Amino acid sequence: MIKCQYTCSIVKNQKMTSRLFCLSLKAPGFVQRVLPGQFVHVRVANGLKPFFRRPFSIFRAQKTVDILYDVVGLGTRILSEKKKGESIDCLGPLGISFRLPPPGTKQVVMIAGGVGVAPFLALTDVLKKEKYQLVLLYGARDKDHVFSLKEFRKNGCQVHIATDDGSHGVKGRVSALFSKINLKMPTYIYTCGPKPMIKCVQDLTRTQHLSGQASLEEVMACGVGVCLGCSIKTTKGFRTVCHDGPVFDLQEIIL
Amino acid sequence: MSMKLNVSIGHIQFQNPVTIASGTFGYISKYAKSADIQKLGAFIPKTITLAAREGNPSPRIVETASGMINAIGIENDGLDHFLAHKLPDLAKLKIPLIVSVSAYQHNDFETLVTRLSQEESVSLIELNLSCPNLKHARLIAQDPAATQEVVAALKKISAKPLIAKLSPNVTDIAAVAFAAQEAGADAVSLVNTFSAMAVDVHRRRPVLGNVTGGLSGPAIKPIALKMVYDVKKRVTIPIIAMGGIMTAEDALEFLIVGATMVAVGTANFVDPQTPLRVLQGIKAYMKQHRVSDIHDIIGSLRTS
Ligand SMILES: Cc1cc2nc3c(=O)[nH]c(=O)nc-3n(C[C@H](O)[C@H](O)[C@H](O)COP(=O)(O)OP(=O)(O)OC[C@H]3O[C@@H](n4cnc5c(N)ncnc54)[C@H](O)[C@@H]3O)c2cc1C
Ligand SMILES: Cc1cc2nc3c(=O)[nH]c(=O)nc-3n(C[C@H](O)[C@H](O)[C@H](O)COP(=O)(O)O)c2cc1C
Ligand code: FES
Repeated sequence: MIKCQYTCSIVKNQKMTSRLFCLSLKAPGFVQRVLPGQFVHVRVANGLKPFFRRPFSIFRAQKTVDILYDVVGLGTRILSEKKKGESIDCLGPLGISFRLPPPGTKQVVMIAGGVGVAPFLALTDVLKKEKYQLVLLYGARDKDHVFSLKEFRKNGCQVHIATDDGSHGVKGRVSALFSKINLKMPTYIYTCGPKPMIKCVQDLTRTQHLSGQASLEEVMACGVGVCLGCSIKTTKGFRTVCHDGPVFDLQEIIL
Repeated sequence: MSMKLNVSIGHIQFQNPVTIASGTFGYISKYAKSADIQKLGAFIPKTITLAAREGNPSPRIVETASGMINAIGIENDGLDHFLAHKLPDLAKLKIPLIVSVSAYQHNDFETLVTRLSQEESVSLIELNLSCPNLKHARLIAQDPAATQEVVAALKKISAKPLIAKLSPNVTDIAAVAFAAQEAGADAVSLVNTFSAMAVDVHRRRPVLGNVTGGLSGPAIKPIALKMVYDVKKRVTIPIIAMGGIMTAEDALEFLIVGATMVAVGTANFVDPQTPLRVLQGIKAYMKQHRVSDIHDIIGSLRTS
């Protein structure tokens, strides 16, 4: 009864690290519709457990629609056991995409916490066509959550990594990386990750008068803006993450 | 074999008994396939109130075993916005439109019903009575006397058939349904969600921003079914049944115990195709059992 439901076949379900997987999906007419920042809402099991679909950002949309996911619970564990050739029911692409930086922007800094890095590969696929300096600040729990970021480097991105335990890159939070980079104003920010990190980025950028966009996560039921279950507070009132977002102006989110 | 699936409430005819439950398909979203929605018996948008409502703090939903708890809080933009911005698209649907309303003051109910009565594209009005009964610390639908009073007053001013939507959070739902019938309701719909909650044990805090919410989905189906069975024994007006319908078999259970129509709610979030699959499955069942008229299924439960 809705326009964006696809039965996808699994082209690949690749283990990237001991924790992260990359699932490649294919369905006629699917990949062509994807814009960077959008997500897919995946029915991981046909039975009642887990009951809800699971939302994942689109990591890359070239020949296939790819998602990068961390195995954190039942749904992602079931997903990690899927084999090439199996089919899977997806709604997507959903939500609004990242908007381009304002004219005159020299530098784009992407600040990612954990798998919040996922939507930025598709974003750099678009941004690399412009003349921005691209910087990715990636904060992960430990080295098991750090995958090869060569695709980002290929897109001309400088990559800085921090881990909570120092097992890879700088020890500490991704916000600590931010204070270390040279800002080449005008700088524009994109961020995605856990809420405390987004809050921290909001505070950092507010003091430096930087603007940008944030992609948010919220537990979802419908994924298409009809249940009003994923609403968050913004300066414009309640907005749904699935339909009005997941991308919002960094400063309009009330955390 | 020709099959008759059409049913009616008051003078309104529906091409088949399958519809959706309020609050689970929004209004008409940009993703909706109108051609598919028009295969259903009716469309019911999310409940509206007279003034806009912000709704509850997040988190508003939580997944549970075979279901979910929600505390949305009837977030909506109010009647004026609905009439100006939602109704024009809904009016294009070639199936009856049932508009669900709720109010926190008696006067608001009257204004909603009066104004919607003037809209040609509105076929029926559903009264979501799961709102506080201001005279008592209960919901209107938890009090047969209050239900009777509200329905009777609105029946006098409504130009459209009225459906009373009942709460399952009562001892005797049949008594409330009977009160609605006595007050002139043209149909009853049941059930709304069951009061429920979930706790985050690590933080020792309620999961929902509103602390409590309402349980829906397959987890409630057997209880909802028994309630429809009980109500059918007390009333003669049509029943619109809902509560955990995921499959045609679920829907048939409700029809067999006496529902005239069935509504798919939470299942839309799992698979938006569910209402159509339910409709297809009912047709397949009728073929298999050589039933030519849906009325030969409705209320056909054999107990001896
Ligand atoms: C728009 C959006 C994009 C996302 N993109 C990605 C992505 O690219 N890669 C990725 O690995 N994950 C992403 N997530 C998070 C992902 O949806 C959850 O990790 C997943 O639903 C967990 O399912 P589970 O059954 O494995 O875990 P569960 O057993 O359901 O939960 C395990 C843990 O994950 C948390 N969680 C559950 N659902 C969500 C959710 N919807 N959002 C945030 N946290 C949740 C729970 O609170 C719990 O702490 C995204 C979420 C949203 C809303
Ligand atoms: C997210 C959500 C929002 C709902 N909103 C409304 C509403 O606005 N008005 C209403 O009468 N019922 C509302 N309901 C209740 C449903 O219409 C239905 O009565 C109930 O969920 C039981 O059916 P189900 O198990 O098939 O979902 C809502 C239910 C859910 C899950
Ligand atoms: S998940 Fe239903 S509105 Fe966002």
